[in-house]
Amino acid sequence: MVRIRKVLVESLQLDVGDAEMPYEQMLEEVATLDSIAILEFVAAVEKEFGIKMEPGNLDFDFLRDLSVLAAYIEQRIEAGSASEAEGIAGD
Amino acid sequence: MAASESELGSHPPIVTVDDFLWFLYLYPLRVLAAIAPRRLLYPISRLSRLRARKRSEVVARRVLNAECTGIPKDQISRIAAAFLANSAIRMLDDLVVSWPSSLRRLRCSEIRGLEHLEQARSAGNGVILLTVHFCATRIAKQYLSSVGYPILTVRDELRVGDWWGRLGRRMLAPRRIKFLNAIIGECVYVQDRGCVLKIVGRLRAGGLVNIHFDGKAGAKTVPWPFLGTRRKFSTGIFDIVRLSGCAVVPMVCLGRSSGLRIHFGPMLDIVRKPGRDEFIEANLPAFVETIEQQIVNHPEEWEQWISI
Repeated sequence: MVRIRKVLVESLQLDVGDAEMPYEQMLEEVATLDSIAILEFVAAVEKEFGIKMEPGNLDFDFLRDLSVLAAYIEQRIEAGSASEAEGIAGD
Repeated sequence: MAASESELGSHPPIVTVDDFLWFLYLYPLRVLAAIAPRRLLYPISRLSRLRARKRSEVVARRVLNAECTGIPKDQISRIAAAFLANSAIRMLDDLVVSWPSSLRRLRCSEIRGLEHLEQARSAGNGVILLTVHFCATRIAKQYLSSVGYPILTVRDELRVGDWWGRLGRRMLAPRRIKFLNAIIGECVYVQDRGCVLKIVGRLRAGGLVNIHFDGKAGAKTVPWPFLGTRRKFSTGIFDIVRLSGCAVVPMVCLGRSSGLRIHFGPMLDIVRKPGRDEFIEANLPAFVETIEQQIVNHPEEWEQWISI
């Protein structure tokens, strides 16, 4: 969860002061000012964790819940590792 | 059918002429559209000429000011008259498609360039259909959805409007919003904070998204020459294309509900640049040129002559 917060702050070049804010509030404020910034954040999360979010999960309410997002990222990473291992075994 | 708020003042009258016209449109005319064949319905559009003189002059002046080399000066009054006729037909077609049974009444006489759309879809990153505000676009999208090409439209939030009298504001304005919601189809409002995510979600699923590139500019804009003047264009579309990797296909929709013509152009050649500003700089000219050409080729179809 700390890593996601860090991605949010860095990808959107938020002030250090903003980083003290709760994650949900930060995301709300960013979305209100610039909806494209949320997309930049998604791209940064995908790059940081080496995953691709599914279309159905590209939803503001989903992204706003940090614990749900963290669990989803973990699950995607595991799914990615499992399919990679299957590929190696298949070879 | 619109007068500005300043004309009406802060205390609007109980009923305005626009209230009366909207009442006729949303009730008796809508019922007539359900039962009358279009050959009887379309002649009603000629009534719009009664209020058209001023609008015709405005359109002619704006076409003239546009200084487009592609629009012959001696054709301007013909274009203005055709534009007004098309606008009236579009309002009648909106009535036709507002009924659930309407899809059976939509006729498409021509789809050109479908191979461009299929080629763009085959990449799997979704497709943005690049359009301008043409009279037939809305019903053409309904037709395309009905034949297996569902399209998510990006648009401005529907507003109540400021031309109503007090009675119209209370009774007709909500009815108008409900009517428009029914005919617009699947859409996302640019004012929604989750708008961009919904667009990218649809593209990522390989779907189609329609963006009117001549729409009212958003928060972040960039000026560029357009139809002989400088116009501000929203940069959001470039961010979406850059970050989603989707294809962009120009689409032109012409005609009326009894004979639509839908043309897809070749995919735009997107110049991939990593930085936001570089990406916009590299691609904006081609986007503007594409829509300018659409308007120059079919000036009588462009709804924005009135509002630019």
